[in-house]
Amino acid sequence: MQMAVVEAWIEAPLKHFVSETGAELALLLHPSGQVLAQHGFARAVDVMSACALAAGIHASSGELGKLLDGRPFRGLHHVGRERQIFLAEALWPRGTYIFLTVFGSESSLGLVRLYFDELVAALVAAAPKEVAPATPALAEHFERDLNRNLAVLFGRA
Amino acid sequence: MATPFSPMLDALTRQRGVTAALVVSERDGIVVESNLQIGQDGDRVAALAASLYRKARLAARAAGMGAVSFMQLEAPGGRLCAVGGGALVLVVVAEASVNVGLVRVELLKAIEGLSAAGGEG
Repeated sequence: MQMAVVEAWIEAPLKHFVSETGAELALLLHPSGQVLAQHGFARAVDVMSACALAAGIHASSGELGKLLDGRPFRGLHHVGRERQIFLAEALWPRGTYIFLTVFGSESSLGLVRLYFDELVAALVAAAPKEVAPATPALAEHFERDLNRNLAVLFGRA
Repeated sequence: MATPFSPMLDALTRQRGVTAALVVSERDGIVVESNLQIGQDGDRVAALAASLYRKARLAARAAGMGAVSFMQLEAPGGRLCAVGGGALVLVVVAEASVNVGLVRVELLKAIEGLSAAGGEG
């Protein structure tokens, strides 16, 4: 399975996470749905779908958390028959990102949570020090940025 | 709050040299209940110990050795012992000088209580 990242500093922490947890799929994305890194996906269209769904789940569970608890839920775990998904917020100086991973019976939620915390800490440590100004994900730029990132991940750039 | 697991965890942590005892979900690696000392990271121990136990169980089965009854990990700074009861694993963290025989007896005694308390999976 191939791993691909839009920015090189993300690769080592993500590789460590995947090798320690045995995760089948991993995806790091901006809450707008733009992908930053992926592991295990073979097709750009699958990454695009997973990003859109993950961003949607994150947004709706965040609102649900605000309604029920006064603050957004930050993580979600769903158990399927053979695979499980874990979706959580990754906070670092550049802002909030979403991390989605799919794992099977070789791994466990405990391991994934443990190495997710390490992943976030490693990303914070590895991130470039100069923080880019926060720019809104404008609809007019969204598709261009998404396509650019997918092209980088799947070697079409 | 006392739970069905409290008496067995108390009995284990009363053993000389035992520093932590945890009931962990084998599949999820999540702590169900624990007796820990200040500063111990129960979540980390639980996740890694459950993963280790699960792999030991699968390896034993693959090798045609049957079920794992008792697992012990020896390290310079201490020992980690585990027994499984259905869907749960009972994990003990102890000093290197602990009487492993006594811990083993207590763990095997506790395993029956563990299964009765909801560990059958």
